[in-house]
Amino acid sequence: MELEKFSYDNKIVKYFAIATVVFGIVGMLVGLTAAIQLFYPIFNFDLQYTTFGRIRPLHTNAVIFAFVGNAMFAGVYYSLQRLLKARMLSDALSWIHFWGWQLIIVAAAITLPLGFTSSKEYAELEWPIDIAIALIWVVFGINMIGTILKRRERHMYVAIWFYIATFVTVAVLHIFNSFAWPVSLFKSYSAFAGVQDALVQWWYGHNAVAFFLTTPFLGLMYYYLPKAANRPVYSYKLSIIHFWSLIFIYIWAGPHHLLYTSLPNWAQSLGVVFSIMLLAPSWGGMLNGLLTLRGAWDRVREDAVLKFMVVAVTAYGMSTFEGPMLSLKNVNAIAHFTDWIIAHVHIGGLGWNGFLTFGMLYWMIPRIYGTKLFSDKLANFHFWIGTLGIIFYALPLYWAGITQSLMWKQFTEDGFLQYPNFLETVTQIVPMYMLRAVGGLLYIIGVLVMAYNLVKTAYAGKLIANEPAEAPALEKREIVGGHWHAVLERKPIIFTSLALVAILIGGVIEFVPAFLIKSNVPTIASVKPYTPLELHGRDIYIREGCNTCHSQMVRPFREETERYGEYSKAGEFVYDHPFLWGSKRTGPDLHRVGAKYPDSWHFNHMLDPTSMSPGSIMPPYPWLFEQQVDADLTPAMISALRHVGVPYEEGFEDEANALMSKQAALIATNLKKDGIEIAPEAEIIALIAYLQRLGTDIKVKGVANQNVSSTQEGGN
Amino acid sequence: MALLKNKPKTCLTLFGLLMPAVGFGQDASASSATSDSPELLLYTAMALVVIVAVLVLVVALYTLTIIKVIIRKEKVSELADQGLTYEEGPGFWARFNQKMTDAVPLEKEDAVLLDHNYDGIRELDNHLPPWWKYMFYLSIVFAVVYMLAYHVFDTLPLQEEEYQNELALASEEAEARKLLAVNELDENSVEATAVEAELANGKDIFDKSCAVCHAADGGGGVGPNLTDVYWIHGGSIGDVFKTIKYGVPQKGMIAWQATLKPTDIRDVASYILTMQGTTPASPKEPQGDPYEPGAAGQESGN
Repeated sequence: MELEKFSYDNKIVKYFAIATVVFGIVGMLVGLTAAIQLFYPIFNFDLQYTTFGRIRPLHTNAVIFAFVGNAMFAGVYYSLQRLLKARMLSDALSWIHFWGWQLIIVAAAITLPLGFTSSKEYAELEWPIDIAIALIWVVFGINMIGTILKRRERHMYVAIWFYIATFVTVAVLHIFNSFAWPVSLFKSYSAFAGVQDALVQWWYGHNAVAFFLTTPFLGLMYYYLPKAANRPVYSYKLSIIHFWSLIFIYIWAGPHHLLYTSLPNWAQSLGVVFSIMLLAPSWGGMLNGLLTLRGAWDRVREDAVLKFMVVAVTAYGMSTFEGPMLSLKNVNAIAHFTDWIIAHVHIGGLGWNGFLTFGMLYWMIPRIYGTKLFSDKLANFHFWIGTLGIIFYALPLYWAGITQSLMWKQFTEDGFLQYPNFLETVTQIVPMYMLRAVGGLLYIIGVLVMAYNLVKTAYAGKLIANEPAEAPALEKREIVGGHWHAVLERKPIIFTSLALVAILIGGVIEFVPAFLIKSNVPTIASVKPYTPLELHGRDIYIREGCNTCHSQMVRPFREETERYGEYSKAGEFVYDHPFLWGSKRTGPDLHRVGAKYPDSWHFNHMLDPTSMSPGSIMPPYPWLFEQQVDADLTPAMISALRHVGVPYEEGFEDEANALMSKQAALIATNLKKDGIEIAPEAEIIALIAYLQRLGTDIKVKGVANQNVSSTQEGGN
Repeated sequence: MALLKNKPKTCLTLFGLLMPAVGFGQDASASSATSDSPELLLYTAMALVVIVAVLVLVVALYTLTIIKVIIRKEKVSELADQGLTYEEGPGFWARFNQKMTDAVPLEKEDAVLLDHNYDGIRELDNHLPPWWKYMFYLSIVFAVVYMLAYHVFDTLPLQEEEYQNELALASEEAEARKLLAVNELDENSVEATAVEAELANGKDIFDKSCAVCHAADGGGGVGPNLTDVYWIHGGSIGDVFKTIKYGVPQKGMIAWQATLKPTDIRDVASYILTMQGTTPASPKEPQGDPYEPGAAGQESGN
């Protein structure tokens, strides 16, 4: 058979690898900054662009899409070409993909600090960037599928199955979750509201973890681990079973992020049981990785690359065990909204994604530069300081999460909350926040050492931009028989379609009833759309990222209804585009904060939180008192919301601003009574209006509140 | 928790890192455990039992190993007598591992090596590890049973019912407390206290919870001035008690009855009344009506 000569594109791999390291360092430094702000709030330098609420999304976006994303592309571009014995379909597409992705990252780094955000976790970027992401992702997909189609290897190796699943699922998730109606160039309202928005968001959020952080990295593991260990993959059977069960089951598990919320019970239960069933398929990947090392364990002791991979796979096993456990309702009742979850995701992020990336880079960079790694000693140092960093990061947060949760739930013998002041439960864990920052710092030091090591390696060698290779062309002939799955491995289009079907089933079964059956969100007649001023306030709440630290979801627990008020009902959120339930309580829940404090309390609190809550770790928001609400935007806001289903009457746009001035003047007068002078156009007025509206639409008939209404009737 | 709180922060930090398990034990028990309580004794006893149990286990294992060595020695010499050499079978761990994974041994793995070669990567076709397979089956059974129990047979409580159960339990406990009549004190029966310790308790609560709005010297800020004779909701001990207890939600005064015990409310109300006639640093202008102690009708007429 005649051998065809061709070459592998290593230059694109080099560029993605550089982007990985650079954005990794940037993203982690932003994370460290956010971590420091939690015990030293003024570390935002009193700038609105660097407050926790804005840079926390910047951190998550940077490490997920810039660091892990670029690492995934570097790894895929290197391994895909070799596994298929073919150069990428088109160099032009490769470069469009590279530069497009980096531009998206830069756009994110600019818009998120400016406060342009959709507020949906890991999908914060506004609609023009969302469209760009979709386009670039499709470019990547065409380039990959095209390469598969012109391959010189008859069967697709397991790594490629995972790459295919990654491509189709992320495309579906991203497009569906980003449905929104634009208000202006950098502002939009989610097409879904309340409970449905929450369901879609966490279907996306959970599967972003699954199909952006897990499946592509399982694919990378299947290439780099056997290569580095020079051992055959342990079990082909296990690969097949765990691949299909993983992608099919993962997609259902999203509702476990919404346990004990207003999400209908049946959807919550589906989230629980599919999370439990997810344990074995996840561990299938870990087992296949670890058992591949049979007979190579002696080398793990010496080889830094293998050490990184072993810890990565182990961390993957730990967090995929912890995930199902956290999905059990009784465990979730303790862990949800606390730092336990932050610890959990960082075992996955720092351990699995980080360490696998490092192992891959240490193995791959010397090879594309045709040289040896500059220093094995430094790589080993990186391994140990990184491991130490993970331990110092995670343990304090587990400790903090459990401590705080127990404090929230603690009642005295007299039946009162032991810690009625939320702040007490925060100051208690501040030392843990400090330790966590130390852990993060150690981890970053390791990454900096790696950067130095890799740069030295690159300078020692010379990039083999086009690595020559040769292989016979694929013969055009029908092959019959073989293992049933081997047939699929020869048919990429059918394989891709089947993967698509597998990941659509769970989503469809959960969404269709949630959207179509009315009883899932019982309507409450007294719940009305927001006033124009409240809408502006809500947009400020979103801009400042208040939802990164404050939930708006009182769960049906006695300790929560005692602390906050009546638990949240599905019908209360029908006009919430987007929903703002939050996922973490660094501060207290705000769903029932409306009418709890006087306007002047909020005024003073936003100007200096420690004035109303001494010891608070919330930063001051002085700019809200200088900046003015953009009244020109009001009609567009009203009209956009009407498009997504909020029943504002036709023509309401025209009277909205007059209505807004009236409500603002009322609040300003109210503040004046307490000796506070402020222009009614100031942003703080709108924010106060929104906060005072929160959770007040339903007449609450809780135990704690019966007496309140009796005093009101008793007259003052 | 209380115990932890009293420790210096650094100590807590080290403690948390080094001894999570011990720390949890304290978390659960600390609210009532003091240095000489029976509970502490119980925990000490339990810890001792555990330590002894571990020691016994270590000794037992050690003895077992020795016995094994002796038996093997005997076997070796026995076989040597017959002119044979002793061959060691796989150890416990190796056998356990083999059973768990059902793997083809390393030296025979060529038998399951597939003929594909992807850029040098080969694949074995080992069996699914049996424990993994059964774990998967078990999780599927769990899922079916879970859905049936919650949504078909309704044998387990969903969240709303769980909440109602929790409330019912709490109100049962509250009833039980009422029978003991420890905290039978309300706005009608309350009398101002002059006991020093109780006033000090009132001051503590005031500084912690009230001062942010009413100022530490009672001069007012977000909330009204408490040092003048003007009261919006009445100035008798009963009135002040009532205002604190139920709050005035429409004006932003928080209801404290879910947070403060009746005796605490009495203490803080009494402390507030001791501020009458003092001169705060920056007094807020008078609000409401003047209240004269002892004047008829004002007690109940707010």
